[in-house]
Amino acid sequence: MARFRLWSVLLAAMALAIYFGLGVGESWINPFSPSSDLDHIVLWELRWPRVLVALAVGGLLALAGAWFQVLLGNPLAEPYVLGVAGSAACGAIASLALLPGSPMAMPIGAFAGAVVGISVIMAFAHLGASRLLLAGVVLAAFWSACLALMLALMPGHRLGMALSWMMGDLSTSFISIYGLSAVWCAALVAGLALSRSLDVLMLGEMHARAMGVEVGQLRMKVLLLASLVTAVAVTAAGTIGFVGLVVPHAMRLVFGGLHRVLLPASAVGGGTLLVLADAGSRVVIAPAELPVGVITAMIGVPVFLWLLLKRT
Amino acid sequence: MAVVEAYVSILALSDMHLVRGDKDVARGLNLKLHAGSITVVLGPNGAGKSSLLLAMAGMLTPASGVIELKGRPLDDYSRREIAGLIAWQGELPPAEFSLTVSERLHLAGSDVCGTDMERACRMVDIAHVCGRPLGRLSAGERQRVELAAVLLRECPILLLDEPTAHLDLRHQAAWLDTMRQQAAAGKTVVAVLHDVQQAACVADEAVFIYGDGKAVHGKAADMLTQTKLEELFGSPILALEQEGLILPDYRSVNETA
Repeated sequence: MARFRLWSVLLAAMALAIYFGLGVGESWINPFSPSSDLDHIVLWELRWPRVLVALAVGGLLALAGAWFQVLLGNPLAEPYVLGVAGSAACGAIASLALLPGSPMAMPIGAFAGAVVGISVIMAFAHLGASRLLLAGVVLAAFWSACLALMLALMPGHRLGMALSWMMGDLSTSFISIYGLSAVWCAALVAGLALSRSLDVLMLGEMHARAMGVEVGQLRMKVLLLASLVTAVAVTAAGTIGFVGLVVPHAMRLVFGGLHRVLLPASAVGGGTLLVLADAGSRVVIAPAELPVGVITAMIGVPVFLWLLLKRT
Repeated sequence: MAVVEAYVSILALSDMHLVRGDKDVARGLNLKLHAGSITVVLGPNGAGKSSLLLAMAGMLTPASGVIELKGRPLDDYSRREIAGLIAWQGELPPAEFSLTVSERLHLAGSDVCGTDMERACRMVDIAHVCGRPLGRLSAGERQRVELAAVLLRECPILLLDEPTAHLDLRHQAAWLDTMRQQAAAGKTVVAVLHDVQQAACVADEAVFIYGDGKAVHGKAADMLTQTKLEELFGSPILALEQEGLILPDYRSVNETA
């Protein structure tokens, strides 16, 4: 049973990633036998929540990537392609500028910004995939211009905070791990419920309609679902690139394209990649940390290029 | 008699008027399709053959006129209900998502079993490519995968938009034979074809859509004649007494011109 073996490998990889995610840091701690009370606290109160956040956020990004890819009919689409990350970043930075003192200002601003971005893009949802993609690209450019404007006007001491959020930061999730887990489960269930329609949509809109799918409704549902999931991920951990692009694509090559397998595999694979990337971000220039987005790009880009080469 | 007529007509179009962009296509068509028949749609490029098929599949709303599926207006059906009755084959679907042939065929129906799939694959001669991704097949092989998918839908009505496109001669002939078998099994087949010879080989009835959008319907024997086809395509056609219809030898046509 080839699929069973593939799943075993994927789950083993996840377990290994969690092991490293717990162990790696300023000092190595063996997750099975922490040597002191301090290690015990570091392990279970600092690293364990962080690993869980990485698992959930990575999974959400990969799910959103898989949805955007089928929605736009392009296996190279990613969760931020329609400008949702840009609008979320604008919201976050705007609230950082307006309400610098309050710790919840940034996540609330990010989510509000993401909702604004989603609302704007939804107005274009009825257009075909290629025009929706163009609208997204232009909107993303608009949001990044707004962002550049705000950063230019921002006093220097807040700039670092803004930049670290924008490049992805798993050390302080703004959404509780319970909330993230709930969203992860709900997103996966909703995605699985739509999986057959999503499969048919891979054949293009005409074929999907001919096979009984209400394509207009499906596109609305998928766009909303994918955007909300992206908004939650961005709010929790900032913008982390490449997970949403590379993971569904790689899982498609390994597990095949049918969504009832692809979606769970992406949800697990995305989490695994992000846990590893986060562990890496803590050791490369230890004791300092790199933004995790840097690591995902460093891992993601070569893997993706290798997959492309292998495929042709 | 009228009752029998209503019963056997599975798809009926009356006073069709379709508009695509700002162009009239398939205007004034009245048509009753019967189970077990093959209707061939012929006409020049851009006349509206594909649009007619889309309208029949409920994917293009006519500007005026009524389409009835099993005696009920097509508008009353949900997309899912239509999909249970009508299988549509159009342009090749994109191959970006690296689906394999067997994955693509499993999408044809929720209850496609292994033996159904083997049979369909044998009918269009793709059994040897079943494990390959769609993107690695030739256009002709991909076309045959689509034809297998149409067969797997197990719908009483088959709407085929250029089913023989990309196929080599052997597979064209095999598919025409398959269409006749499907009709013999009680299916209603509508096919857009570009080859008048193929049309003459399989058609019970013919729909002509002229370049100006006017559409007429009649028995194939009455429609597929030299004069009517020349009028339809604006191109000279030779009629051979015994062999059916064939395009002229263009070398001799050009010499005399």
